[in-house]
Amino acid sequence: MKSRLLVAIGAVALLFSCSGPPPSKGPATQSASSQKTAPDFTLKDAEGKDVKLSDYRGKVVLLNFWATWCGPCQLEIPWFIDFEKQYKSQGLEVIGVSMDEDGWKAVKPYIASHKLNYRILLGNDSVTQLYGGVDSLPTTFIIDRQGRISKVHVGLAGRNEYLDEIKSLLGTT
Amino acid sequence: MSCLLPFSLTAQQARVSVEPPAEIVAHPGSVLTEPLKIDVQPGFHVNSDKPKDEYVIPLKLTWLSGPLTIESVTYPKPEEIKVGTESLTVFTGNFSIQSRFTVPQQAQPGSSVMTGKLRYQACNNQMCLRPATVEVHVPVVIQ
Repeated sequence: MKSRLLVAIGAVALLFSCSGPPPSKGPATQSASSQKTAPDFTLKDAEGKDVKLSDYRGKVVLLNFWATWCGPCQLEIPWFIDFEKQYKSQGLEVIGVSMDEDGWKAVKPYIASHKLNYRILLGNDSVTQLYGGVDSLPTTFIIDRQGRISKVHVGLAGRNEYLDEIKSLLGTT
Repeated sequence: MSCLLPFSLTAQQARVSVEPPAEIVAHPGSVLTEPLKIDVQPGFHVNSDKPKDEYVIPLKLTWLSGPLTIESVTYPKPEEIKVGTESLTVFTGNFSIQSRFTVPQQAQPGSSVMTGKLRYQACNNQMCLRPATVEVHVPVVIQ
């Protein structure tokens, strides 16, 4: 747990060191005034369409870096499927960024077999570097409607933890 | 840009260390078994060579070149652990992969190097590190 926290703090510190002041508190307690705008990127989805993060401005975004080979990621995926079902109409967008080196060859069958209902993009190192390296998977960024990073989870987080954060940003609590 | 770090391999290397034999000394026609020692940081595991899940990245040692002929690569018996409801076969702590080599009868005396690569992917119960491949170099002396 301690090492997980250190990794999380390190990742967030790296992220914030790129273009802004360091966070005054840990990753789970960022105040709105110190939140950094989520770095923009464009990645392709499974249909080959370009998807730009900034196009989701106005939505709450759960941005999850994951891979098909990552066991803890598999535990979170059913939650994200539920979140997408339950909260999409209220303004939530779940976006999965796959870090599979084998690309769509590995990811497309997984999307089909696990019935993923949210958008999956194929990540690359240029994008992960914008987000502090994303050394560990899963790493999940909760982004508010203004495009600011509200919370960062490095490693497996709790379902209710995610839910509380999402509902708070959606204004449904 | 100072914020761009070659991050993943460094983290993997911090949690998994690989120690090849310091040197192999052999005679033409001989058969020898050599360990590749691996140390996985407590709390972490690497996937076994034969993971149950098709998506999981297996541990794999591949010998690429050198004066010895590779006969077999033998992995230890894996442990079985549960991550959530998933059952995984993994290696933890200190273990060795055994490589069985033969030295060709026609091998010329002298020094050279066996080169291989070890592919692995480490996780703990909370997170996984991105896959890594390390090169393995073993000095070989044929007498």
